[in-house]
Amino acid sequence: MVSELLASAIRMGLPVLLAALGAVYSERGGVVNIGLEGMMITGSFWGAVGAYYWGPLAGMALAVTAAVVMALIHAVVTVTFRVDQIVSGVALNILAYGAARFCSITLFQKATMSPHVQGFEPISVPGLDQIPWLRPLVSNVSPLVVVGFLLVPLSYWVIEKTVFGLRLRAVGENPLAADTLGLKVYHLRYSGVLLSGVLAGLAGAYLSVEHTGMYVEGMTQGKGYIALAAMIFGNWSPVGAMWAALLFGLAESLSFRVVQSAVVPYQFIKMIPYALTLVVLAGVLKRTTPPAADGIPYEREEA
Amino acid sequence: MRRGYRYLALELASPLVAIGFAVLVGAVVMAAIGKNPVEVYRTMFVFALRRLDSVAIILFGATPLIFSGLAVAVSFRAGLFNIGVEGQYLIGTFLAALAGFALKGLPSFVHLPLVIAVAALGGVLWALLPVYLKVRRGVHEVISTIMLNYIAFSLIHYLIADVFMDKQQGLMPGVGNPLIRLPRIAPSALMPRMHGFLSLFGVDLPNHVYLNWFFPLALLLAGAVHYLIWRTPFGYELRAVGHNPAAAEAAGIHPASVCTKAFLLSGLIAGMTGLSDLLSYFGYMDLDFPKGYGFTGIAVALMGKNSPLGIVLAALLFGFLNRGAEGVQAFAGVPMDTVVILQGVMILSIVVASAVMSRYIRRQERKEALQG
Repeated sequence: MVSELLASAIRMGLPVLLAALGAVYSERGGVVNIGLEGMMITGSFWGAVGAYYWGPLAGMALAVTAAVVMALIHAVVTVTFRVDQIVSGVALNILAYGAARFCSITLFQKATMSPHVQGFEPISVPGLDQIPWLRPLVSNVSPLVVVGFLLVPLSYWVIEKTVFGLRLRAVGENPLAADTLGLKVYHLRYSGVLLSGVLAGLAGAYLSVEHTGMYVEGMTQGKGYIALAAMIFGNWSPVGAMWAALLFGLAESLSFRVVQSAVVPYQFIKMIPYALTLVVLAGVLKRTTPPAADGIPYEREEA
Repeated sequence: MRRGYRYLALELASPLVAIGFAVLVGAVVMAAIGKNPVEVYRTMFVFALRRLDSVAIILFGATPLIFSGLAVAVSFRAGLFNIGVEGQYLIGTFLAALAGFALKGLPSFVHLPLVIAVAALGGVLWALLPVYLKVRRGVHEVISTIMLNYIAFSLIHYLIADVFMDKQQGLMPGVGNPLIRLPRIAPSALMPRMHGFLSLFGVDLPNHVYLNWFFPLALLLAGAVHYLIWRTPFGYELRAVGHNPAAAEAAGIHPASVCTKAFLLSGLIAGMTGLSDLLSYFGYMDLDFPKGYGFTGIAVALMGKNSPLGIVLAALLFGFLNRGAEGVQAFAGVPMDTVVILQGVMILSIVVASAVMSRYIRRQERKEALQG
């Protein structure tokens, strides 16, 4: 029972985790990415398109490509043109919503959903899946879940231990100092935003291809915003983001179970992840500190 | 002096450039699905503007967007970003609908203003928590308002479907299930349409047009917001805090208090967004009450550069686009959603164009100052 709940929390938390990891890259480099939601929408739609025509792997590739295009727009608008990052993100979300509907009508003759698509072959760990209390956790798991959790230590290593990570953090903390030392501030910020596009695209594709088996309009349900909250709660670190994402996953999977018992009206259960986000952000549980230059456009002295 | 005019012209040109760019992107999209863009745009203009009733429909469609655009702009001027207009107007609309059907026997000149006030208060109510969290706990208002939007959706769903649903409504002929909606609002709380007034000027609108007195009210509100921002001490403080909170504080302004007032005012205006639809078109609130005005309001405010006049123009443009899109879908076979893409591209290009333009102007001015 407990391991079943945990397995369900992992499935629900994975898209939040992936997008939150993306947000970590973007924000450690100093760019707030409220457009994650739109990138996830884009990823969920193009993931379904790719999976429908050419199989799940193509779905992932197409989703990542499309979300990276969105991320590129965000980077051009915020880094090169130094427009307010929130404004750009909000515009991107509107654009993503319209584009998904438009493309869905064009390709599937329906604005709100795609046909059923085939996901990856789920994997089971031989031997371990014979142990009853462990079975829900190690059998019939989406390969993306494995990838997602491997990305946590990988991201930790990239951000904390590599030269790239050091430079990215420098740009997010003090771009002027980084620039003085000869670092390419704009390139680094672009890489942070584009990496967030890759991960948000994967998060979206997971939702449509692996979790639901089709694209449905509005299937992201604000998970992009919740991912930002998870990143903040996780104090801008990959490992922290993972725990926060699991917490949100747990809240969501609990909500499904409580619905079945029907003690509380289900509309209130649906509020839990959002209310939890508010509680988390209000710092009731813990205080956090963002990178010093997060959200501030960097402007080289004009000649 | 002539230089000043040149810069003003440049400043005004940037939205036009951005609209032009968006129109181009739209043309590419249409060409990509095998439609002739010129033909599609022509259909759009002809369908939307050739007949007076269609123009009235555009004005009706622009009405809620003026409210939501002004709400976003007021917060923006104070350096806050109210993405919660969406939730605020749904709560406001719900409370207005409640006051509309629960209170009976009031004369219209009491009931209608009361219902409008209740809607505005509903918006304020839903704006309280985010501004408290912002001022006291440093929570960014963008995320908290988005979360409250989702909470509002669920709450409204619960209140309509499980608590106040109209059980007495007659079934529609041929339809087995009753609508999931609130009871009908009393006639004393409904907003009259403008048909009678306009017919005095020889403009006769057909019955399917719902242009009502909320449109002139929205224009009045735009004027009031303009006056507030540019002509009152509070407006000055608001702009000062929006530009530079630290400098404003050094000048003796209390940013937290200004932010709170501005945000609550934003919620107040937001709360009235749904009224034009509720009190003239539907006459009740159901689960499918129009959503998305809050988000479109952000687009309208950005496009109107947060100035009330600009917002009215942008709302009219959006009303035109939405109306035109219906024609385009019906007569040219282009999905209506092309318009949402157009809107998204317009916002992005408008913010980029105005950022580039203002930077260019600043640089030119500095150069001229140096040359003396």
